[in-house]
Amino acid sequence: MTLASTQVNRTLRQSKQIAAGILQYAALGLLALVMLIPFVWMLSTSLKTTQYVLSATPQFIPDPLTIDSYKTLFDLMPMDRMMINSIVVAVVGTLGQILFSAMAAYAFARMTWRGQNAVFLLYLITMMIPSQVTLIPLFILMRQLGWVNSYQGLILPGLFSAFGTFLLRQSFLSLPRDLEEAAFMDGANHFTIFWRIILPLSKPALATLSVLSFMQYWNSYLWPLFVAREDLFMTLPVGLAKLQGGPRALTQWNVVMAGAVITVLPMLIVYLFAQKWFIRSVTLSGIKG
Amino acid sequence: MAGNRGIHKWKWVIFFLSPSLIGLLVFMIGPILYSLRLTFFEWNLISDAHYIGLDNFRELYHDTDFHQAFKHTLTYIALYTPSVMVLALATALLLNRPLRGIAFFRAATFVPVVSSWVVVSLMWRWIFNPRFGLLNYGLVQIGITGPNWLFDPDSALYALIIAGVWKDIGFIAVMFLAGLQSISDTYYEAARIDGAKVWQQLRFITLPMLTPTTFFALIISLINSFQVFEQAWLMPEDFARSGTSVVVEQIVNNAFRYNRMGYAAAMSWVLFAVIFVVTLVQLVLQKRWVHYES
Amino acid sequence: MSRKLFVLALVTMLLGAMVPGASFAQDEQMIRYFNFSSDPDHVEDLQAIVDAFEAENPTIKVEVSSAPYADYFTLLQADFAGGDPPDVFELNYENFVSYAANDVLLDVSSYVSADAPYYPRALAAFQYDGKQLALPETFSTVLLFYNKDLFDQAGIEYPTAEWTWDDAMEAAKAIRALGDDIWGIYSPIQFWEFYKKAAQNNCAFFNEDMTESTINSPECVAALETMVSFVTEDVMPDEIELGGVANEELFAQGKLGMVVIGTWMFAAFQEVPFAWDIQLEPGMAQKGHHFFSNGVAVAKDTEYPEAAAAFAQFLTASETAATVRVDTGWELPALDQPEYFQSYLEQTPPDNREAVFQALESPVVPPVIERQTEMQDALTSVLSAVALGELDPQTALDTAKDQIDSLLE
Repeated sequence: MTLASTQVNRTLRQSKQIAAGILQYAALGLLALVMLIPFVWMLSTSLKTTQYVLSATPQFIPDPLTIDSYKTLFDLMPMDRMMINSIVVAVVGTLGQILFSAMAAYAFARMTWRGQNAVFLLYLITMMIPSQVTLIPLFILMRQLGWVNSYQGLILPGLFSAFGTFLLRQSFLSLPRDLEEAAFMDGANHFTIFWRIILPLSKPALATLSVLSFMQYWNSYLWPLFVAREDLFMTLPVGLAKLQGGPRALTQWNVVMAGAVITVLPMLIVYLFAQKWFIRSVTLSGIKG
Repeated sequence: MAGNRGIHKWKWVIFFLSPSLIGLLVFMIGPILYSLRLTFFEWNLISDAHYIGLDNFRELYHDTDFHQAFKHTLTYIALYTPSVMVLALATALLLNRPLRGIAFFRAATFVPVVSSWVVVSLMWRWIFNPRFGLLNYGLVQIGITGPNWLFDPDSALYALIIAGVWKDIGFIAVMFLAGLQSISDTYYEAARIDGAKVWQQLRFITLPMLTPTTFFALIISLINSFQVFEQAWLMPEDFARSGTSVVVEQIVNNAFRYNRMGYAAAMSWVLFAVIFVVTLVQLVLQKRWVHYES
Repeated sequence: MSRKLFVLALVTMLLGAMVPGASFAQDEQMIRYFNFSSDPDHVEDLQAIVDAFEAENPTIKVEVSSAPYADYFTLLQADFAGGDPPDVFELNYENFVSYAANDVLLDVSSYVSADAPYYPRALAAFQYDGKQLALPETFSTVLLFYNKDLFDQAGIEYPTAEWTWDDAMEAAKAIRALGDDIWGIYSPIQFWEFYKKAAQNNCAFFNEDMTESTINSPECVAALETMVSFVTEDVMPDEIELGGVANEELFAQGKLGMVVIGTWMFAAFQEVPFAWDIQLEPGMAQKGHHFFSNGVAVAKDTEYPEAAAAFAQFLTASETAATVRVDTGWELPALDQPEYFQSYLEQTPPDNREAVFQALESPVVPPVIERQTEMQDALTSVLSAVALGELDPQTALDTAKDQIDSLLE
């Protein structure tokens, strides 16, 4: 090959890469646009002045721009209390869910015992009944335990969702079978293996679960509605729903949207933190596929 | 596996399993069994329940509203599931690239997942508006007159499906992303050395290695879409609801608006039976196409 | 030895006596009040009423909780199901019958002073089986709002209190002629409007002993046909022509000549760029206006019936409560005391606020059966089909009759 032709080949390769890069960014840009439209619209409605925005029509540029709705929001609602409650419930709930789900997933995926498929099926079954129908029995249970208007009432029932166990079980199953062999021969017990080997290797799945679990608690409306009646325990979604007056009253849509924007932000922060765990360590060869 | 023998093993099983299992039994199985008992009663919550045997199920058998809701749910599932799985996979593949600023795009995909349906449905109602909405406006530009979407019982369900797919793509994509990330690079390197092209890598490495995640995503999607509710509750115009009623909507109506808790419970259990059978079939079939690492 | 035991027993008893009462004064009674109407704008106003009550009744403490209207009744039912309902709670008229029929409300007639100034009709609305099972708290009604500028432009007279729907049709046509995007009138074809129009035409949904539905009788059909005629004569936009824009918004934009809507919209229309006023709704054989009312009920098994009933009465009939409600633009108390309403009547727009009280002379309450929501849903879907032009009124009401009859069993 002559020098000239290798140069031509290289230029060709480079331009292909550039074209591919542009295409990818274009696709990503379109994706982001489609996904973000409602957030932009929420934001713009929240910055409108009209005290009684009669219907939530989306004019994308509010005119004039104002943060009055945010001030009204903080006036009308005990936002600080609700924010604290939402955070406490979501953080404790997420940590609890991850721990218990991971432990159960370990038992299903890395151990063999009689009846494990049947018990796992039991877990799956709990996801197949609409929660609206178990709401009342669960609420009655809360009354009997005296857990209405309490943090344990808000956190505990959601802690045992089978989803987390299912997700982590799949992830644990995809790790090589003989991973533990060496460790056992060195005298390690199950817990050490769980803590030192399996968990560190499952970072993407754990990150995913932490985000989804946080979201489940953060956005949860129906359960806190039933369980947290006092302002002291109220969470964000429940409090914000009170902004929407009944059928014979007016709703200040700009204030409702301000609440929606504030609710979404912490979730995104959690997501951004967690998704750092998605980046794999670069392999020795240094080339990513 | 070593460490998997005898009493010793059971000690460990109990250790790992009991927190989760006990909680499950108390907070989920307990209420579920209670709801099973309710199916044999008529209960309006305010006063005492009274026993009616199998009457709820007899009524369900003849309840045309329930049958129609079931039909709508099945249509929803048939169109939603393949769409969301394919689009989420494509999105995950796109988001898996080590491009600069990829974190922003990943976060963007997740914004719909994290937003509440209450707010998102308002947005979609506007997009689907037959006269002023973005969608029909766009369609007119390319020469198509769009249907009346949420204003028409015949087309409203499709609007729900589109909105549902849009909202859940990020959710499923995040799972695929985690799955993609756990495929070891060594496979791809070996393939590249052998001269495999991108689409070949996709077909022979990525997709097979992704099957545990795909299986998981499929089960979750099915279980969730059988219970589709919020968009059906919030989005359609009242007069279009004859075309969009779904099963969980009927359950909620009966439990909380018609004061018929027992009837609602009976509906839930019929729904559960269907979901259970479908899931069981999936679980049995998984041996055929899901490759776990060995 | 026995002295030690004695002292121990004494100490234990004293401790035991102290603990439960630790947070209360000696004979303090604690009652819980659950409501939906104070959110979100009037939470402090409600607290002002509660504070005034507690000041007058130092042995009673009121604990207030609230929920958004959309979920309020679900939560209330859950509380009953859990065996621990609130002592005092709000009910709207539509839900009152169901609670009354299930015998969970306290008969407050023995606790309420005979001279409490309730509107007699309002008081009667919350009676069941001869017992006073709730007290009327507030009322609102629906009237004809009209755009004076559009009427001037069309050169026609403003609506009068004697108008019929024929008069309204003429005016609507004149206004519609002003432009393609100007509509004459709007009154939705749905459950609440229909039962009122039916009443205006002397038609009831049920026969005397509530065993059969008479919804498909000729008078009801005629009422429905009148409602539909506004759409067919093109003076009223149908749902698609409205295109998701709320009718109140259309009015606020000055594009609608007349709209039949509730008195709660006064505040929303304060800033509109045209002159407007209200009038009694046009009638058919007679006048008929919505009587929407919220009531306050006491749970039958409450621990403190006297305290609870006293609070209920204070909340609904005291001068303090009435003044707070009127002055803060909250809701109108259902009381026959014109002096309470002075400040309300003096605000403008609209000028003709007397119409609100004139409407009380021809009240129409919602037809209520035990399976209320199912009836509402059935009628909503039937009337929607009529509104879309898919069903004619006669067939629609024949279908509705069959559905309602099956709910009456």
